[in-house]
Amino acid sequence: MLLRGLSLLVLFQLLGTAISVLFIPLLPGPIVGILLLFGFLLWRGRVGEPMQQAATTLLRFLPLLLVPPAVGVMAYAAEILDHFWAIAGTMTLSLIISLVFTGWLMQFLIRRQANRRGQA
Amino acid sequence: MTLQWQAAWVAVTTHPLFSVGVTLLAYQLGMTIYERARKVYLQPFLISVVTVISVLLACGVPYELYRTNTTLLTLLLGPATVALAVPLFLNLERIRQLFGPIMLTLLVAGTVTTLLGVVLGWLFGISEQLLMTLTPKSATSPIAMLVAEEIGGIAALAAVFVLLTGVLGAILGPVLLTRFGVQHPAARGMALGLTAHAVGTAQALQEGEECGAFSALAMSLMGVATAVLLPLVVTLLR
Repeated sequence: MLLRGLSLLVLFQLLGTAISVLFIPLLPGPIVGILLLFGFLLWRGRVGEPMQQAATTLLRFLPLLLVPPAVGVMAYAAEILDHFWAIAGTMTLSLIISLVFTGWLMQFLIRRQANRRGQA
Repeated sequence: MTLQWQAAWVAVTTHPLFSVGVTLLAYQLGMTIYERARKVYLQPFLISVVTVISVLLACGVPYELYRTNTTLLTLLLGPATVALAVPLFLNLERIRQLFGPIMLTLLVAGTVTTLLGVVLGWLFGISEQLLMTLTPKSATSPIAMLVAEEIGGIAALAAVFVLLTGVLGAILGPVLLTRFGVQHPAARGMALGLTAHAVGTAQALQEGEECGAFSALAMSLMGVATAVLLPLVVTLLR
Protein backbone atom coordinates (compact mmCIF):
# COMPACT_ATOMS: atom_id res chain seq x y z
CA MET A 1 0.00 0.00 0.00
CA LEU A 2 2.70 2.40 1.11
CA LEU A 3 4.82 1.50 -1.89
CA ARG A 4 1.96 2.01 -4.31
CA GLY A 5 1.33 5.51 -2.97
CA LEU A 6 5.04 6.27 -3.01
CA SER A 7 5.30 5.10 -6.63
CA LEU A 8 2.43 7.41 -7.54
CA LEU A 9 4.14 10.37 -5.84
CA VAL A 10 7.40 9.57 -7.66
CA LEU A 11 5.48 9.28 -10.93
CA PHE A 12 3.87 12.69 -10.38
CA GLN A 13 7.21 14.28 -9.62
CA LEU A 14 8.81 12.77 -12.74
CA LEU A 15 5.85 13.97 -14.82
CA GLY A 16 6.29 17.39 -13.20
CA THR A 17 10.00 17.36 -14.05
CA ALA A 18 9.28 16.54 -17.69
CA ILE A 19 6.65 19.28 -17.96
CA SER A 20 8.93 21.73 -16.16
CA VAL A 21 11.78 21.13 -18.63
CA LEU A 22 9.52 21.11 -21.69
CA PHE A 23 7.23 24.07 -21.00
CA ILE A 24 7.86 26.03 -17.79
CA PRO A 25 11.54 25.93 -16.77
CA LEU A 26 10.73 28.64 -14.17
CA LEU A 27 8.91 26.16 -11.91
CA PRO A 28 10.84 23.28 -10.32
CA GLY A 29 9.62 19.72 -11.06
CA PRO A 30 8.24 18.91 -7.57
CA ILE A 31 6.17 22.13 -7.62
CA VAL A 32 4.61 21.22 -10.97
CA GLY A 33 4.10 17.80 -9.34
CA ILE A 34 2.00 19.35 -6.52
CA LEU A 35 -0.22 21.10 -9.05
CA LEU A 36 -0.57 17.91 -11.14
CA LEU A 37 -1.43 15.78 -8.11
CA PHE A 38 -3.89 18.38 -6.83
CA GLY A 39 -5.57 18.44 -10.24
CA PHE A 40 -5.64 14.64 -10.28
CA LEU A 41 -7.25 14.52 -6.80
CA LEU A 42 -9.85 17.09 -7.88
CA TRP A 43 -10.66 15.02 -10.96
CA ARG A 44 -10.86 11.80 -8.95
CA GLY A 45 -12.79 13.45 -6.12
CA ARG A 46 -11.08 11.56 -3.29
CA VAL A 47 -7.69 10.52 -1.90
CA GLY A 48 -7.06 6.77 -2.28
CA GLU A 49 -5.83 4.78 0.70
CA PRO A 50 -2.30 4.13 -0.73
CA MET A 51 -1.79 7.80 -1.58
CA GLN A 52 -3.07 8.90 1.83
CA GLN A 53 -0.72 6.51 3.56
CA ALA A 54 2.35 7.49 1.54
CA ALA A 55 1.65 11.22 1.88
CA THR A 56 1.11 11.00 5.66
CA THR A 57 4.28 8.96 6.13
CA LEU A 58 6.46 11.21 3.97
CA LEU A 59 5.12 14.43 5.50
CA ARG A 60 5.66 13.03 8.99
CA PHE A 61 9.34 12.52 8.20
CA LEU A 62 9.73 15.79 6.32
CA PRO A 63 11.91 17.32 9.11
CA LEU A 64 14.25 14.30 8.92
CA LEU A 65 14.56 14.60 5.13
CA LEU A 66 15.48 18.26 5.56
CA VAL A 67 18.37 17.58 7.92
CA PRO A 68 21.04 16.79 5.26
CA PRO A 69 20.45 19.97 3.21
CA ALA A 70 20.35 22.07 6.39
CA VAL A 71 23.65 20.62 7.61
CA GLY A 72 25.05 22.50 4.59
CA VAL A 73 24.89 25.58 6.79
CA MET A 74 28.29 24.47 8.15
CA ALA A 75 29.72 25.37 4.76
CA TYR A 76 28.31 28.93 5.12
CA ALA A 77 29.00 29.60 8.81
CA ALA A 78 31.43 32.44 8.04
CA GLU A 79 28.97 34.21 5.76
CA ILE A 80 26.16 34.07 8.36
CA LEU A 81 28.38 35.35 11.17
CA ASP A 82 29.57 38.21 8.94
CA HIS A 83 25.99 39.44 8.53
CA PHE A 84 24.58 38.14 11.80
CA TRP A 85 22.81 41.28 13.04
CA ALA A 86 21.41 42.22 9.64
CA ILE A 87 19.97 38.70 9.19
CA ALA A 88 18.62 38.49 12.75
CA GLY A 89 17.06 41.95 12.50
CA THR A 90 15.43 41.29 9.14
CA MET A 91 13.99 37.95 10.24
CA THR A 92 12.66 39.07 13.62
CA LEU A 93 11.12 42.36 12.48
CA SER A 94 9.52 41.01 9.31
CA LEU A 95 8.12 38.01 11.18
CA ILE A 96 6.54 40.07 13.98
CA ILE A 97 4.96 42.61 11.62
CA SER A 98 3.67 40.13 9.04
CA LEU A 99 2.34 37.65 11.61
CA VAL A 100 0.24 40.24 13.40
CA PHE A 101 -0.87 41.79 10.10
CA THR A 102 -1.93 38.40 8.65
CA GLY A 103 -3.96 37.48 11.74
CA TRP A 104 -5.61 40.90 11.91
CA LEU A 105 -6.47 40.94 8.18
CA MET A 106 -7.93 37.42 8.18
CA GLN A 107 -10.06 38.15 11.26
CA PHE A 108 -11.28 41.42 9.75
CA LEU A 109 -12.26 39.66 6.48
CA ILE A 110 -14.00 36.76 8.27
CA ARG A 111 -16.09 39.20 10.33
CA ARG A 112 -16.92 41.25 7.27
CA GLN A 113 -18.11 38.12 5.43
CA ALA A 114 -20.18 37.05 8.45
CA ASN A 115 -21.77 40.50 8.71
CA ARG A 116 -22.67 40.54 5.03
CA ARG A 117 -24.24 37.09 5.21
CA GLY A 118 -26.08 38.14 8.37
CA GLN A 119 -27.60 41.11 6.57
CA ALA A 120 -28.52 39.24 3.41
CA MET B 1 50.43 -8.03 14.05
CA THR B 2 49.32 -4.42 14.54
CA LEU B 3 45.68 -3.66 14.04
CA GLN B 4 44.91 -1.10 11.32
CA TRP B 5 42.96 1.29 13.60
CA GLN B 6 43.47 4.23 11.31
CA ALA B 7 42.26 2.35 8.23
CA ALA B 8 39.21 1.02 10.06
CA TRP B 9 38.31 4.51 11.32
CA VAL B 10 38.55 5.98 7.83
CA ALA B 11 36.57 3.10 6.32
CA VAL B 12 33.77 3.60 8.85
CA THR B 13 33.51 7.40 8.76
CA THR B 14 33.63 7.62 4.98
CA HIS B 15 31.09 4.81 4.50
CA PRO B 16 27.75 6.14 3.11
CA LEU B 17 25.89 4.42 5.95
CA PHE B 18 27.87 6.45 8.49
CA SER B 19 26.34 9.68 7.20
CA VAL B 20 22.85 8.16 6.97
CA GLY B 21 23.23 6.51 10.40
CA VAL B 22 24.39 9.69 12.12
CA THR B 23 21.42 11.55 10.62
CA LEU B 24 18.92 8.90 11.75
CA LEU B 25 20.38 8.72 15.26
CA ALA B 26 20.55 12.52 15.58
CA TYR B 27 16.89 12.77 14.57
CA GLN B 28 15.84 10.19 17.16
CA LEU B 29 17.86 12.05 19.77
CA GLY B 30 16.07 15.25 18.75
CA MET B 31 12.65 13.57 19.02
CA THR B 32 13.45 12.18 22.47
CA ILE B 33 14.69 15.50 23.81
CA TYR B 34 11.68 17.32 22.33
CA GLU B 35 9.19 14.84 23.82
CA ARG B 36 10.84 14.99 27.24
CA ALA B 37 11.30 18.76 27.42
CA ARG B 38 8.20 19.90 25.47
CA LYS B 39 9.81 23.23 24.62
CA VAL B 40 8.92 24.81 21.28
CA TYR B 41 12.45 26.03 20.64
CA LEU B 42 13.88 22.51 21.12
CA GLN B 43 12.65 21.41 17.67
CA PRO B 44 13.83 17.87 16.74
CA PHE B 45 15.04 19.31 13.44
CA LEU B 46 17.21 21.95 15.12
CA ILE B 47 18.72 19.44 17.56
CA SER B 48 19.43 16.97 14.71
CA VAL B 49 21.20 19.58 12.60
CA VAL B 50 23.39 20.74 15.49
CA THR B 51 24.18 17.12 16.45
CA VAL B 52 25.06 16.07 12.88
CA ILE B 53 27.30 19.10 12.39
CA SER B 54 29.10 18.39 15.69
CA VAL B 55 29.67 14.74 14.79
CA LEU B 56 30.91 15.58 11.29
CA LEU B 57 33.32 18.19 12.66
CA ALA B 58 34.53 15.83 15.39
CA CYS B 59 35.11 12.97 12.92
CA GLY B 60 36.60 15.20 10.24
CA VAL B 61 33.99 14.35 7.60
CA PRO B 62 33.69 17.22 5.08
CA TYR B 63 30.20 18.46 4.14
CA GLU B 64 30.68 17.50 0.47
CA LEU B 65 31.14 13.84 1.43
CA TYR B 66 28.17 13.95 3.83
CA ARG B 67 25.97 15.44 1.13
CA THR B 68 26.93 12.81 -1.43
CA ASN B 69 26.37 10.03 1.11
CA THR B 70 22.89 11.18 2.18
CA THR B 71 21.45 11.34 -1.35
CA LEU B 72 19.23 8.44 -0.27
CA LEU B 73 17.38 10.78 2.13
CA THR B 74 17.38 13.99 0.10
CA LEU B 75 16.03 12.19 -2.97
CA LEU B 76 12.75 11.68 -1.08
CA LEU B 77 12.28 15.43 -0.63
CA GLY B 78 10.73 15.70 -4.11
CA PRO B 79 7.91 13.17 -3.55
CA ALA B 80 7.37 14.67 -0.06
CA THR B 81 6.82 18.07 -1.67
CA VAL B 82 4.36 16.56 -4.16
CA ALA B 83 2.56 14.96 -1.18
CA LEU B 84 1.61 18.45 0.09
CA ALA B 85 -1.22 18.33 -2.48
CA VAL B 86 -2.99 15.77 -0.25
CA PRO B 87 -3.64 17.95 2.86
CA LEU B 88 -4.51 20.78 0.50
CA PHE B 89 -7.16 18.63 -1.17
CA LEU B 90 -8.47 17.32 2.17
CA ASN B 91 -9.09 20.90 3.38
CA LEU B 92 -11.01 21.79 0.23
CA GLU B 93 -14.38 22.05 2.00
CA ARG B 94 -13.04 24.54 4.55
CA ILE B 95 -11.35 26.52 1.77
CA ARG B 96 -14.68 26.81 -0.06
CA GLN B 97 -16.50 28.19 3.01
CA LEU B 98 -13.99 30.97 3.66
CA PHE B 99 -12.70 31.21 0.10
CA GLY B 100 -12.80 35.01 -0.17
CA PRO B 101 -11.08 35.86 3.13
CA ILE B 102 -8.46 33.13 2.60
CA MET B 103 -7.53 34.20 -0.92
CA LEU B 104 -7.47 37.92 -0.09
CA THR B 105 -5.36 37.31 3.03
CA LEU B 106 -3.01 35.04 1.09
CA LEU B 107 -2.58 37.60 -1.67
CA VAL B 108 -2.21 40.72 0.49
CA ALA B 109 -0.48 39.30 3.57
CA GLY B 110 1.69 36.94 1.50
CA THR B 111 2.90 39.88 -0.60
CA VAL B 112 3.46 42.05 2.49
CA THR B 113 5.38 39.25 4.25
CA THR B 114 7.66 38.64 1.29
CA LEU B 115 8.16 42.35 0.46
CA LEU B 116 8.83 43.21 4.10
CA GLY B 117 11.65 40.66 4.15
CA VAL B 118 13.20 42.14 1.01
CA VAL B 119 12.85 45.78 2.10
CA LEU B 120 14.14 45.20 5.64
CA GLY B 121 17.01 43.08 4.32
CA TRP B 122 17.89 45.83 1.87
CA LEU B 123 17.74 48.45 4.65
CA PHE B 124 20.02 46.32 6.81
CA GLY B 125 22.45 46.09 3.87
CA ILE B 126 22.28 42.36 3.12
CA SER B 127 24.04 41.11 -0.06
CA GLU B 128 21.88 40.11 -3.04
CA GLN B 129 22.66 36.41 -2.71
CA LEU B 130 21.66 36.44 0.97
CA LEU B 131 18.57 38.48 0.15
CA MET B 132 17.48 35.90 -2.43
CA THR B 133 18.04 33.25 0.24
CA LEU B 134 15.94 35.11 2.84
CA THR B 135 13.06 36.02 0.52
CA PRO B 136 11.24 32.65 0.47
CA LYS B 137 11.66 32.21 4.26
CA SER B 138 7.94 32.04 4.98
CA ALA B 139 7.37 29.09 2.64
CA THR B 140 7.79 25.56 3.93
CA SER B 141 11.38 24.27 3.68
CA PRO B 142 11.39 22.11 0.52
CA ILE B 143 9.71 24.89 -1.42
CA ALA B 144 11.89 27.62 0.07
CA MET B 145 15.00 25.62 -0.78
CA LEU B 146 13.93 25.00 -4.35
CA VAL B 147 12.86 28.61 -4.84
CA ALA B 148 16.01 30.05 -3.23
CA GLU B 149 18.14 27.99 -5.59
CA GLU B 150 15.94 29.05 -8.50
CA ILE B 151 16.28 32.81 -7.81
CA GLY B 152 20.00 32.75 -7.02
CA GLY B 153 20.13 32.12 -3.27
CA ILE B 154 21.69 29.28 -1.27
CA ALA B 155 19.38 26.28 -0.67
CA ALA B 156 21.07 25.08 2.52
CA LEU B 157 20.93 28.53 4.08
CA ALA B 158 17.31 28.98 3.02
CA ALA B 159 16.39 25.86 5.03
CA VAL B 160 18.03 27.36 8.10
CA PHE B 161 16.28 30.73 7.68
CA VAL B 162 12.96 28.95 7.16
CA LEU B 163 13.43 26.98 10.32
CA LEU B 164 14.54 29.95 12.43
CA THR B 165 11.56 31.95 11.16
CA GLY B 166 9.26 29.06 12.06
CA VAL B 167 10.64 28.64 15.57
CA LEU B 168 10.48 32.40 16.15
CA GLY B 169 6.86 32.45 14.92
CA ALA B 170 5.83 29.51 17.08
CA ILE B 171 7.33 31.09 20.21
CA LEU B 172 6.22 34.71 19.67
CA GLY B 173 3.08 34.11 17.55
CA PRO B 174 0.41 33.08 20.09
CA VAL B 175 1.44 35.86 22.53
CA LEU B 176 1.55 38.52 19.80
CA LEU B 177 -1.80 37.49 18.29
CA THR B 178 -3.52 37.60 21.67
CA ARG B 179 -2.01 40.99 22.49
CA PHE B 180 -3.29 42.45 19.21
CA GLY B 181 -6.78 41.03 19.71
CA VAL B 182 -6.76 38.24 17.11
CA GLN B 183 -8.99 35.56 18.68
CA HIS B 184 -10.67 33.82 15.75
CA PRO B 185 -9.08 30.34 15.46
CA ALA B 186 -9.10 30.49 11.63
CA ALA B 187 -7.31 33.87 11.70
CA ARG B 188 -4.73 32.69 14.25
CA GLY B 189 -4.13 29.55 12.17
CA MET B 190 -3.78 31.55 8.95
CA ALA B 191 -1.21 33.87 10.59
CA LEU B 192 0.85 31.02 12.05
CA GLY B 193 0.80 28.90 8.87
CA LEU B 194 1.42 31.73 6.44
CA THR B 195 4.41 33.20 8.26
CA ALA B 196 5.78 30.26 10.23
CA HIS B 197 4.85 27.23 8.00
CA ALA B 198 5.32 23.74 9.51
CA VAL B 199 6.64 24.83 12.91
CA GLY B 200 3.84 27.37 13.22
CA THR B 201 1.34 24.68 12.18
CA ALA B 202 2.59 22.35 14.90
CA GLN B 203 1.99 25.17 17.38
CA ALA B 204 -1.43 25.95 15.89
CA LEU B 205 -2.50 22.30 16.27
CA GLN B 206 -1.95 22.65 20.02
CA GLU B 207 -4.41 25.55 20.08
CA GLY B 208 -7.15 23.45 18.53
CA GLU B 209 -8.31 21.54 15.48
CA GLU B 210 -9.71 24.48 13.51
CA CYS B 211 -6.64 26.62 14.16
CA GLY B 212 -4.41 23.73 13.07
CA ALA B 213 -6.39 23.01 9.89
CA PHE B 214 -6.24 26.63 8.79
CA SER B 215 -2.55 26.79 9.58
CA ALA B 216 -1.89 23.72 7.41
CA LEU B 217 -3.97 25.27 4.66
CA ALA B 218 -2.15 28.61 4.87
CA MET B 219 1.17 26.79 4.83
CA SER B 220 0.29 24.84 1.66
CA LEU B 221 -1.16 27.88 -0.10
CA MET B 222 1.76 30.13 0.86
CA GLY B 223 4.15 27.41 -0.30
CA VAL B 224 2.51 27.03 -3.69
CA ALA B 225 2.12 30.81 -4.11
CA THR B 226 5.79 31.36 -3.24
CA ALA B 227 6.87 28.59 -5.58
CA VAL B 228 4.76 29.80 -8.49
CA LEU B 229 4.96 33.58 -8.12
CA LEU B 230 8.35 34.41 -6.57
CA PRO B 231 10.58 33.04 -9.36
CA LEU B 232 8.28 34.72 -11.88
CA VAL B 233 8.46 38.12 -10.16
CA VAL B 234 12.23 37.93 -9.65
CA THR B 235 12.78 36.97 -13.30
CA LEU B 236 10.55 39.80 -14.49
CA LEU B 237 12.30 42.37 -12.28
CA ARG B 238 15.80 41.45 -13.47
